[in-house]
Amino acid sequence: MTGIIFDIHQGAVHDGPGIRQTVFLKGCPLRCQWCHNPEGLSPEPELLVSTQGCTGCGRCMQVCPQAALGVVGNRARHCTACGQCVSACSQRIRRIAGEQLTAHELAQRLMEDAAFYRSVGGGVTFSGGEPLLQADFVLETLSLLPPDVHTAVETSGQGSSEAFARFAQAFDWIMLDMKAMDDDIHHRYTGSSNANILANARLLCQGDTPFVVRIPVIPGVNDTNAHYRAVAELVHGAPALQGVELLPYHRTAGAKYAMAGRAYRPSFDAEQPVFINQDIFTQYGIRSRVL
Amino acid sequence: MTERIAELRRFFVEQRAHHAARQPARDAQELARIFAQGAAPDVQRAAQRHSRMLALEMPVIFPQERLVFTRTNPTLLALFTPQEMDALRRAHTLHEQGEVCNICVDYTRLMDVGLQAAKDSLLQRAQHEHGEKAAYLRLQADILTAILELARRYHDLAVQEGRDDIARMLSRVPAYAPTTFPEALQMFRILHFAMWLGGNYHNTVGRFDQFMYPYFAADMQSGLLSRDAALEWIQEFFLTFNRDSDLYSGMQQGDNGQSLMLGGLNPDGTDSSNELTELCLTASLKLRLIDPKINLRVHKNTPLSLYRLGSELTRQGLGFPQYANDEVVIPALIRYGYEPADAYNYTVAACWEFIIPGRGMDIPNIGAISLAGAVQQAVAQELMACDTFDDLLQAVRRNIHEQVHSTLDSLCNVYLFPAPYLSLMMDGCAQAGQDVSLGCKYNNYGLHGTGLSTAVDALAAVRAWVYGDGSIAKQQLLNALATDYADCPDLLARLRFDAPKMGNNDPLADDLAVLLLDAFADAVDGLRNERGGIIRAGTGSAMYYLWHANDLPATADGRRAGEALAANYSPSLFARLKGPVSILQSFAKPDLGRVCNGGPLTLELHDTMLRNDQAVAKVAQLVKSYMDMGGHQLQLNAINRDTLLEARENPGAHRNLIVRVWGWSGYFVELDPEYQDHIISRTEHAV
Repeated sequence: MTGIIFDIHQGAVHDGPGIRQTVFLKGCPLRCQWCHNPEGLSPEPELLVSTQGCTGCGRCMQVCPQAALGVVGNRARHCTACGQCVSACSQRIRRIAGEQLTAHELAQRLMEDAAFYRSVGGGVTFSGGEPLLQADFVLETLSLLPPDVHTAVETSGQGSSEAFARFAQAFDWIMLDMKAMDDDIHHRYTGSSNANILANARLLCQGDTPFVVRIPVIPGVNDTNAHYRAVAELVHGAPALQGVELLPYHRTAGAKYAMAGRAYRPSFDAEQPVFINQDIFTQYGIRSRVL
Repeated sequence: MTERIAELRRFFVEQRAHHAARQPARDAQELARIFAQGAAPDVQRAAQRHSRMLALEMPVIFPQERLVFTRTNPTLLALFTPQEMDALRRAHTLHEQGEVCNICVDYTRLMDVGLQAAKDSLLQRAQHEHGEKAAYLRLQADILTAILELARRYHDLAVQEGRDDIARMLSRVPAYAPTTFPEALQMFRILHFAMWLGGNYHNTVGRFDQFMYPYFAADMQSGLLSRDAALEWIQEFFLTFNRDSDLYSGMQQGDNGQSLMLGGLNPDGTDSSNELTELCLTASLKLRLIDPKINLRVHKNTPLSLYRLGSELTRQGLGFPQYANDEVVIPALIRYGYEPADAYNYTVAACWEFIIPGRGMDIPNIGAISLAGAVQQAVAQELMACDTFDDLLQAVRRNIHEQVHSTLDSLCNVYLFPAPYLSLMMDGCAQAGQDVSLGCKYNNYGLHGTGLSTAVDALAAVRAWVYGDGSIAKQQLLNALATDYADCPDLLARLRFDAPKMGNNDPLADDLAVLLLDAFADAVDGLRNERGGIIRAGTGSAMYYLWHANDLPATADGRRAGEALAANYSPSLFARLKGPVSILQSFAKPDLGRVCNGGPLTLELHDTMLRNDQAVAKVAQLVKSYMDMGGHQLQLNAINRDTLLEARENPGAHRNLIVRVWGWSGYFVELDPEYQDHIISRTEHAV
């Protein structure tokens, strides 16, 4: 079957054990205000234009079939991501994010360097976007990789329990985000309830697939003792828990929004320093580290 | 870092308070004029200048320091008047400034015996010699006398100022062989200090953790030294390399060649790294200074912990350590004709050229050819006549061959100023009373090859689109090159961004790198220089990458005239690359043992890749993987483009920002703007 990805990143050092290649799946059910991969949100291909290097030559809009319907800056108001402007640009600052490919093609591409990643104690990580949204595609790709390829997934947990259970079965390593334990806060900042996510988290806690819990630490949103404690309370004692990873919010999170033709408007105060407290995890006997 | 070291670091590095002790500048020609009037022979000039420079030094001891010797006279006196220099340049090839430089002496030759015994031995031998040889030995003894005399003046000052510890140390060294690790450090400081006063530059340190280990181990064993105390001594010692370096000559501030080598493979297959290795890495990690420049020799039995300590250094943004792979370098040196025992003992010159301590008078940076130029010329002049891509490759090979020969032809009658002091620490020269400037056991030349990635990318584009699918007509390409792509932005963009590039693990580019480097190796194979040595081809660039780029017209990879070439062995500056893994894979493919003069792959890592301990350990693994793939030399930079841009705008706030330039690290804000720009453009690759 066919899926859609927006990048394969080489030499990732923060996406699971060892050095890894990370596949970014396109499309996400959540709308987290701090998301730093805006091109991962929509499941459709879309145009990215770098904000640096445009010479204003106008060639892109000359070849654009949608230009007649209106142009904003150097992009069509109703861009269909047809890609004609990409090779017209003399600076190559335009690209289409979103490559459709079959599980076979993806597996083949990952196999090119699989031996290297095995030799450095790493493997393949699926990230996004949200891999659960393309669960069948991801699982088919996984089934095509030899068993000695270490596989990991980075997920928000927002998906059906059935899909999540299959992930827990199929992957060697799971990284589950815990954005907000309070449902109101979760709703306010991600656009969705956390009910599904918590259910999946409990499922993970009962299983034997090694997993880590990741907390994107967002100033004024979830950088509180209450959140840290609630997470610790939920996962402590889980036999397969490998630890908690804290990912402090970084102000460059908004860097790609302009490229995707979107505005970055978080409702939290992005300038505020984040509050980190690892002691709570220590009290619960959980290893934690800041990435 | 102890409070005392922190204080010394502030004093010498941040406040540069020791500059207050400097004498006013002198007339650099004061001796040369006298020499010229008397038509003094060069050996006599070198020795007398050296003794004079030592005599001009005023002892000075600073608060809290325990290792002394600081430059006070800022002026290096010239050996020759400008008129004489003109005449010398007409009659000879003068390598750089003319002084012996960029070699590694064997410090133990003097440390093991002490200067008094060394001097006595010289004078004794002089009695049994006649004429020039006897005079030469006496001149060498004069230099040692001058060093001893300066040390005595330091000693007396220490006594006068009640600095008993320093006085005690100086009553031992440099006259007599050191008996403790601190004495050995003080002795080294004096020997090294004296080298700079002799006019020699790019004075490398060599395999410090090897030749200093006996002193260290003995003190540790006897309980004289604790690990912490040793670390403090090493840190103070490392600080001494940063006191006078603004007075050292180099292309840029920071280019002073104070390279220090650690680790390495023993002939019996064991690893030579020891506790001192680790302490040196730790000392450098804490000090965060550009000197000494740390190099690490690795091999298949190097413990991962050493790679990890190295990566910790990289994380500090120092631009070192630079790694050299013994598995590639040692066999290569043996194939070049170095004796195995010497090959196993290799170190690096100022930047990265592989040389032998105490035995090599190699000039590994004597010249450079332009690989990009060889391809550019073949395309511009012979494309029409070449019916097949193989024909074009033949033309490239011919050009490389011609460049090698014309470069070597231009280097005949090489003359180096005598270096009687350094000769005391070079095997053979010391025993025979022969000056190292005339040669030593190894007298090989090294040629750099610049612009490899540009050359590869240009050929790859021509192969794919001119000879391959024919989508670019020969005449179309030639017109574009002749007009510097003025009227063909589409073609420019296509060549620049869409063609196969070296660094993407793309066979369509990488096999050409293999071929070009083989052609370079073939071109020097069997050649001899006038000193009886061979010619070694290498992957370095030194500053030639800038010079060659300025003269190079547009190239078929979409590079416009004058645009920069990459430094050393690195991807083209505008290539869009997939990431660090494919870069390592691409750059491991050539037979690097054949082009083993030295020259590292530079991998630019975004500093977020090193932001925690686990990630640092993974970077260590990445470094090891390049060695496992057959890479010869690697250097990593942890950089953040935003920081560099900010530092260019606001230098005052970034005085401590350290970057790697071509073979050395320097303070970013002290670099000329063109180097700053080049480093910023390099960060496009940061992955």
